[in-house]
Amino acid sequence: MTDGRHISQEDLALYAMQALSPEESVPIRAHLAECAECGAEFAELNGDLALVAMSVDRHPVPAGARDRFLNRIAADAAAAPPAPKTAVVPIDSPRPARRVAAWIAWAAVAATILVSASLLWEVASLNRELNLQTAELAHQKAVNARAREILELLTAPTAQRVVLTAPMPPKPWPTARAIYLPSRGALMLQASNLAPIPAAKTYELWVIPAKGAPIPAGLFRPDATGSASVVLPELPKGVPAKAFGVTIENAAGSATPTLPIVLSGAAPSSGE
Amino acid sequence: MRPSAADDKALLERVLARDQTAMAELFDRYSAMAYSVAMRVVKDAAQAEDVMQDVFFQVWQNPRAFVSDRGSLGAWLAVVVRNRAIDLIRRRKPAEAVEDVVLPAATNVAAEVEHRTLIERVRNAMKDLPPEQRESVELAFFEGMTHAEIAEKKGEPLGTVKTRIRTALMSVRKAVKA
Repeated sequence: MTDGRHISQEDLALYAMQALSPEESVPIRAHLAECAECGAEFAELNGDLALVAMSVDRHPVPAGARDRFLNRIAADAAAAPPAPKTAVVPIDSPRPARRVAAWIAWAAVAATILVSASLLWEVASLNRELNLQTAELAHQKAVNARAREILELLTAPTAQRVVLTAPMPPKPWPTARAIYLPSRGALMLQASNLAPIPAAKTYELWVIPAKGAPIPAGLFRPDATGSASVVLPELPKGVPAKAFGVTIENAAGSATPTLPIVLSGAAPSSGE
Repeated sequence: MRPSAADDKALLERVLARDQTAMAELFDRYSAMAYSVAMRVVKDAAQAEDVMQDVFFQVWQNPRAFVSDRGSLGAWLAVVVRNRAIDLIRRRKPAEAVEDVVLPAATNVAAEVEHRTLIERVRNAMKDLPPEQRESVELAFFEGMTHAEIAEKKGEPLGTVKTRIRTALMSVRKAVKA
């Protein structure tokens, strides 16, 4: 595989294409982390492959794809507060020249005004900084509270733990694991091997209580590997689950489940 | 007027500040290319859109994953989309983080490759390859087969498959740099 010091170009090309087995890839990855020469050739090969990829026949992007993407990032932006904005000032940008008055008296007055303005600016700047720090602190508190809630859910001995499976599973088997703490209305679901679904559709999770109608518990779409998760959806507190189900609904979700149920699992009684 | 690496870098800096308009502009620039690469691999419109959407969403969530002095954003997206599409058809977890896709710093592929002439040059280079070389590259790059799988399918030694793929890529490189 190597000529003693470097990886052969053949193997680097296969590694760049991910056409080696995981076992064959390990020593190459380790070598690339240390060898600048092989790293440069690896980058060149990626450049060659990028050209091959970019030369494929063009297809128009499906209608609505742009709107779906923009809606997705808008929802993400609404869910996560923006990072504090700080003005970016290039370190080599020229500072504006200060005009020096010809007359010393006027210069003294100007200097006084400048000092005052500078102090005012300094105060305003500190206030802005303080506001940013306060906002950041509040954000961190919210993040910590959410993390604590997840940790408590995962470690709660009274939580209902459920494995959801498909009725006639294709291979690989889609499965999902749910953990639910009824007293807090806290729920997490981790699904794998989910089949891809059309862009106009979504998976929807349902809490099925002992009495009453199923409660919608979050929309999700699998990523490229078929994995998806739902973390702390909005749910009422104090509703023990008899079972959990997953259906396929229109992209906006539904208030009632549409059959068939693609994944389901009965919940053991809560220890609460 | 083709987008330049500097334009992309400026847009990525705005994306870092959660500017949705900048992200929309990047989507407009590269979505057709990214979708076409995904379609070439997965051959299914819905799955290709999922791959494309996921990769652009990763850019939105982590614009720092692309390091602009490593090459062009378009080329980086082409490779990342191809790799994610292969992960999808092989039903496996992503084989590498997007940050691991490194491109040559010296060449601004996006600025050049977007020109029809260069794309045509790459297409012609692929077309002019001996059939067995072209097939080996396509099986590995677009079908996601390992060299061992290609060797088994073609009934040929591993070394032959390796050499064909390397020679084919060198021919593409030579054609582009000619």
